[in-house]
Amino acid sequence: METLAPIIQFVDFSFSYSNSSSPILKNVNLGINEGEFILLVGTSGCGKSTLLRCVNGLIPHLYNGTYQGKVIVDGEIVSEKNVSELATKVGFVFQNPENQIFMFSVEKDIVFGLENIGVEREEIRRRLDWVLKSLNIEHLRYRAPYELSDGQKQRVAIAGTLVMHPKILILDEPTSLLDPRTAYEFILTLKRLNKELGITVIVVEHRIDLLTNVADRIVVMDNGKILHDGSLKDIIRLKDLHLHGVAVPPIVALQNSLSESKIHLPNFCLNVKDFAKMIKKEASNR
Amino acid sequence: MFWLAEGLIYRSQESSFHSLDPRTKLFFSIMLFSMSLLSNTIPEFIIILSVILFIGLVSKVLKRMSKTIVFSISFLVMIFIINVLVGYDIIFSIIVSLRFIAVVSSSSIFFLTSSPDELELVMKSFRLPYDLIFAFVTAVRFVPVIMLDALQILDSQRSRGLEIEKGNLMKRIKNYLPVLVPLIVQSIIRSEELAEAMESRAYGFSKKKTSYYSLHLRKRDYLAFILCLIFIIQFILIIYLLHI
Amino acid sequence: MIEIDSLYFKYPTAKDYILKNINLKIGLGEVVAIMGSNGSGKTTLIKHFNGLLKPNQGSVKVFGKDTHDESVASLSKKVGLVFQNPGHQIFSDTVWNELAFALKNFGLEEEVIKKRVKWALEFFNLTQYKDTSPLLLSGGEKKRLCLASVLAWNPNYVVLDEPTVGQDFLQKEKLREVIKMLITQDKSIVIVSHDVEFVWLLQPRLVLLSNGEIVKDDKCANVFRDKVSLERCGIINPQFVELQEELSFLISSPPIDVLESKTIFLEFLKGGI
Repeated sequence: METLAPIIQFVDFSFSYSNSSSPILKNVNLGINEGEFILLVGTSGCGKSTLLRCVNGLIPHLYNGTYQGKVIVDGEIVSEKNVSELATKVGFVFQNPENQIFMFSVEKDIVFGLENIGVEREEIRRRLDWVLKSLNIEHLRYRAPYELSDGQKQRVAIAGTLVMHPKILILDEPTSLLDPRTAYEFILTLKRLNKELGITVIVVEHRIDLLTNVADRIVVMDNGKILHDGSLKDIIRLKDLHLHGVAVPPIVALQNSLSESKIHLPNFCLNVKDFAKMIKKEASNR
Repeated sequence: MFWLAEGLIYRSQESSFHSLDPRTKLFFSIMLFSMSLLSNTIPEFIIILSVILFIGLVSKVLKRMSKTIVFSISFLVMIFIINVLVGYDIIFSIIVSLRFIAVVSSSSIFFLTSSPDELELVMKSFRLPYDLIFAFVTAVRFVPVIMLDALQILDSQRSRGLEIEKGNLMKRIKNYLPVLVPLIVQSIIRSEELAEAMESRAYGFSKKKTSYYSLHLRKRDYLAFILCLIFIIQFILIIYLLHI
Repeated sequence: MIEIDSLYFKYPTAKDYILKNINLKIGLGEVVAIMGSNGSGKTTLIKHFNGLLKPNQGSVKVFGKDTHDESVASLSKKVGLVFQNPGHQIFSDTVWNELAFALKNFGLEEEVIKKRVKWALEFFNLTQYKDTSPLLLSGGEKKRLCLASVLAWNPNYVVLDEPTVGQDFLQKEKLREVIKMLITQDKSIVIVSHDVEFVWLLQPRLVLLSNGEIVKDDKCANVFRDKVSLERCGIINPQFVELQEELSFLISSPPIDVLESKTIFLEFLKGGI
């Protein structure tokens, strides 16, 4: 069977910002395959936001520093391409919904990227209609940014990147400012895009509980290095994960704690419903 | 402060004037503006100002236009007084003041009836450098946001005991520091975030851009141009006749 | 005592009221969480506590004095507000001066200011930064600094607006410890937050806002049972509350933390093994 090269590859990669003596990323080796949904976590300052910016070229092009090693995205070496050139492969959604909508209306903002890369009008119209439908924001088409809620703004932000047909979507703490329900719906939208369109998704989030049922793989960073990298189900059971800033959901912490006391349960469950089902089964077996 | 803004900020409205191509509206404004600069007698200004008034009525922006004029009354009075003091006769001083109103209100017509979107398209049609256009668009888009920031900063500092109304002039100026410094810092951070977002959406990909929107001159624009020309010709005739 | 009576409020340029018929009393030593979807009026409500906003109808009284009759500065002495974005308040040249700012505004004596700033620096682990520019601190440190600068003047009420946004687990733990300490000092804590798990651990009185009205005001365990209200306010249940509902035959009341839940299951599972 043929193994495909990862769509994102970090090879012996290190980076220090120019105003700092110590490297923020230290000898990172990481491969991400097409279609994966990755959760990237770690304490504040561990380098996760920096790592994200190395994928679409913001580092090194917008930020000066010492750049060592290679970052390869969809066959291209990142340092040799402009951020604007990589924008057709990698979409980036930032934390603050306000500062990524430039235009006076949703429609105008969404077509911004397509105008920049010179897509012709008919194609722009087609993609615009498609993305508005995909993200359920047709009713917001002519609204001005100040009329939108934060949750709506974040969806418009995704629309603006999705319309470029990127293979990879990167999101830096996109739900920070959203209330729990809106945040959860947002994550579900991401999962749908990942499944239906095969887009590789990398999300940096502190709110792990939103993603336990959604992310295939979790990468834990600490102090510029990759500490853990594996399936969510495996990694989240590790001891001392909270010491690396990871907010382990209570139901998972409970199971970890029980297994520490040598209590063995048939399954390890990532959400309350599954756990409850398992316990009910245990109870009926008695 | 709000009434200065009232006179210059576009609000969405429906009128036959609003629906004209922004270039047509610009043409009107420039024409009236130039006529204001070139005119020298009171009758000329009466005609110009009546046309401006008429357009203001048709486009339903008269109320807000008058607010700008009211704001500029203080300048007006100042201009008038200075002219008289310096030695110019009353008629001349009146003319200078009228010219001022005409110039301000004729420019205000364009800005009141054209949305920032239309302004952008006009600038594009004049082939201005895109960086400049984008800077303008971003500025207009974020001015309300920055104003909100300033209010929030003020709330934070007042909650720490800052009293900006109190004290002598020196103290009051010093009291603006806790508001200005965060505002400036936040604006810088905002512009950095904007730069990241812009680049990430292919800004600067190439010099050749396509435009999803475009401006089209329609029948009503041609009609308006013709009306304008008729007006100019009649105006020149009247003035010529008056001078004979 | 903060007493809010039939409060109605709208911004001057707005058509509709953003807060409607708010009746709320918060006594000393209470821990209250205010939750609701974005736009429900939470931040608008807390701005009434220190007089930043004044009601159009109804009244807000702080320690018996109507907020219409007092300045924001004098109310802030008793009610300290910590806003969400540190960038909206940090401006001084040194951390020391940043902490001393409010104290100077309140007219405290030099000696008192020195003492309080020193205490704040030590308590929040910021002593090594006392002569540094606060703008050079990390995001988490800036948030600590903002909380420190409010606690420096020792208000009776500490109101926190979304203190956990963008914070990792360790930072949230530290914050929880600070809040616990403040509770032992008989301070009243009001926290506006989306973070259900964080709020659950504090076991506060929970006030739910929806569309500017108080929909529920009760012990949090009771509030989290009210599915309809939670749905209206865009709030998800804490996991242990959901667990108790699923396993009501086994658990009578939702456990507060992992330790409590572990005890329940140890008993149950050991019994069967």
